[in-house]
Amino acid sequence: MSTIRQQLASPLQLVVLASAGIILLPLGYVTAQALSADPVVWGRLWATRIPELLFNTISLAASVAVITLVLGVSTAWLITRVEFPGRRLWEGAMVLPLAMPTYVLAYVYSFLLGFGGPVEHLWQLVAGPQARIFSPHSYLGATLVMALDTFPFVYLLSRSALLSMNVSFEEVARASGVSRLSTLWRVTLPLMRPSIAAGVALVILYVVSDFGAVSLLRYQTLTYAVFQQMTGRSDNTAASILSILLVGLALIFLITERWFRQRSRFYQTTGHYRAPQRHQYGWLGTVAVTGYLGLIVGAAFALPASLLVQWSLSPEAQATLDSRFFGFVWNSGILAASAATGGVLIGLPLAYLASRRPTMLNLGCLQAAYAGYVLPGPVAALAVLVLFTKLAPVFYGSVLILIVAYVIHFLPAGLQSLEPALQHISPNLEEVARTLGLGMRDTWRRVTLPLVRNGFVVAWVLMFLQTMKELPATLLLRPVGFDTLAIRVWMEASEEYYQLAAPSALLIVLLSLPALALLVSKDWRAA
Amino acid sequence: MSFVCSLPTLRRTILSGLLLLFAAGLVAPFFVPSALAADQLTIYSGRGERLIKPVLDAFTANTGIQIELLSSGTTELVNRLKAEGDRTSADLLITNDAGSLELARTAGLLRPLNMREVERAIPAQFRASDNAWVGLSGRFWILVYNRTMVKPDQVRSLLDLADPKWKDKIAIPNSGSEYLQAGVSVIRATYGDEKTRQFLQGLKTNADNQVYQKSSQIVDAVAKGQVALGIVNHYYVYRHLAAQPGAPIAVVMPDQQEGGMGAIMNVAGVGVIKSTKHLDSAKLLVEFLVAQAGQKLFADLDKEYPLHQDVKADPALVERKSFRAALVPLSKLAELREPTLTLIEQVGLR
Repeated sequence: MSTIRQQLASPLQLVVLASAGIILLPLGYVTAQALSADPVVWGRLWATRIPELLFNTISLAASVAVITLVLGVSTAWLITRVEFPGRRLWEGAMVLPLAMPTYVLAYVYSFLLGFGGPVEHLWQLVAGPQARIFSPHSYLGATLVMALDTFPFVYLLSRSALLSMNVSFEEVARASGVSRLSTLWRVTLPLMRPSIAAGVALVILYVVSDFGAVSLLRYQTLTYAVFQQMTGRSDNTAASILSILLVGLALIFLITERWFRQRSRFYQTTGHYRAPQRHQYGWLGTVAVTGYLGLIVGAAFALPASLLVQWSLSPEAQATLDSRFFGFVWNSGILAASAATGGVLIGLPLAYLASRRPTMLNLGCLQAAYAGYVLPGPVAALAVLVLFTKLAPVFYGSVLILIVAYVIHFLPAGLQSLEPALQHISPNLEEVARTLGLGMRDTWRRVTLPLVRNGFVVAWVLMFLQTMKELPATLLLRPVGFDTLAIRVWMEASEEYYQLAAPSALLIVLLSLPALALLVSKDWRAA
Repeated sequence: MSFVCSLPTLRRTILSGLLLLFAAGLVAPFFVPSALAADQLTIYSGRGERLIKPVLDAFTANTGIQIELLSSGTTELVNRLKAEGDRTSADLLITNDAGSLELARTAGLLRPLNMREVERAIPAQFRASDNAWVGLSGRFWILVYNRTMVKPDQVRSLLDLADPKWKDKIAIPNSGSEYLQAGVSVIRATYGDEKTRQFLQGLKTNADNQVYQKSSQIVDAVAKGQVALGIVNHYYVYRHLAAQPGAPIAVVMPDQQEGGMGAIMNVAGVGVIKSTKHLDSAKLLVEFLVAQAGQKLFADLDKEYPLHQDVKADPALVERKSFRAALVPLSKLAELREPTLTLIEQVGLR
């Protein structure tokens, strides 16, 4: 038995090594290109762009972190600790913003808050005709959009921390005469700290690698600058220098997130665990809570979504719903399906070997596959581009190069659900089935497959959706005739043709909703 | 919040649907048509899709030749052509800037053309010496101003925009745009590096975060009064006025004063890719674009200055004969580009 397994393992081992290589090589090439760059280029970038870009990126990340912290923790606390009519409805509604790609929210807000836009008109009714509001194309605008789009990460992690927390700690505090507010501050929040930190680190990782919102809001971050360097210059040296800075920055937050996530597992949930008592609110409290939650969900989802519907129904938008539009839908569909299938096929042996034969090598290969987390879209595109022009220029400009970029970029999302699925199957289960008289095929069909199936489905759907929403890598690498829905949204929105961008944007949001349900029940970290 | 479906049949349907999609994803990449039909042209275009697609559609309607259009940034597409080499599926390159075409020509990407139609229609200063690229339509880098905020005699020259009195009142394109690079190249060639640097420094300070990706957004911002002045290619202003005749905007043709350098001109143009397998169709398209009918489309739809002498520009535009253009030849834009980019980067323009 063991010899058979070893024989099976060695070709598989090669596959795994090759996959890890394919994933790491592009990053290696970019790093090499950046490090071998003329010191003059480094010097010039340090003297001109880098300080501004680093400052912009970090200050955006910091302000978004603070706002998501407040929004995420407060909503999670209200949902888990307060009873009010419609609570279960709000519990689900709080994750809806995750269905809005950042570029969609950004373009809706550049209309709403734009010069002479609806919000400004309202404000002028109050403050006089000359009053101005802040421009959405600024630090504040980018902060608002990114915070509204990402606070559900903190909400979800805080919520599960609050649900799994042992309430006896809080009860002891209350019984010893500590006030309710003080208990919250001195007991509950400290217990939630690892989860909150993990959520915030995730938010920061997301903000740092976002391209869609910052490009539409013209806010200069590292990720946006990499894209601009790639599209505006004839060589990629400066782009790769900015890329490795960005990768370094992302790596810091990835490690932070993982470290806190590990710590967040050490809750005492066994023993005398009891579900927390929900505090019943009266009508005044209900109105206040509903108003607060409604404001957040309204700003982050309901209002943008209803604008998209309204724009999609306009005659200008209806006129774009021709065969060309369905071509874009088709392109989005097959690209996403190919990337998802590719991701599952590459991720499977990596996760399988790491769980069955957890040697240093196999675990290392699996960790390498998580590199996508620190490769923002434009960097992934640059990396794949550099690799292919050096090693296999034949594929340049083909669909393959784009799919490779997608797989590298989104494999972590898939692995998040492939890994636990494979850990479920232990060889014993199969062996038991065999000793009880099942054949090889029946064992596979009735034991193994049902065990891993859900994990596969979730992994595939997640990668499908991520790919469908993906913007920068698609912009940079798409072959002729491969415009996708995301590309159309961005192209129309960047010229402020709001109506024309709406049908594609709405379709992306609608397609994301069912997957969001899946995500929330299984593995939402991947969004 | 659980997604587990209780109906086994529905679940099975969903699963088999997903399985089908999984398989589709597996085979899909191999079904992408790599060799296109004979009567089909692939065009890499660095012009806004809105500006070029109607013209190409007219060509398809005339000839039945289908066109695959990849719209993207000009520099990005030239980079891409370099990387793809002979394997590219592109048959033609259309750009918004002569400098980029000249760079593509010197990189050996374009095919010289020997076509009498071209030589007859387009004056020699608007095409490469070997006709590897051919200018199609002229555009001028002009000042657009809001009539309620600025009087026309307040600005004469592009260089006036660096004046501190315009702080936070101007909008400019981002430094990745090829016509900004071309414009700065012309200013450098005329006034030298030091004066250009001061100009860019002032421009950067005055524009602050009013740096736009698209010229149409700049015109919009001026029309709404968000800024008083902007630098754009002229046709964006006239396209805006054609759609909204009441907009309070007007054009200053800059640098016409005594001793001024003249307005900065650039052309949008086309080149046939060296490795094209559809040379006859590609030539047919070039012929269509330089002929009177094609030139009229650029004039009427896009509000550009046609390069064909017998085709009139839109009457709303400033009469071409009434102003001077800067004297830097288009083909020089290519060699000026690299030092210009260095200067732009040193100043730290976005």
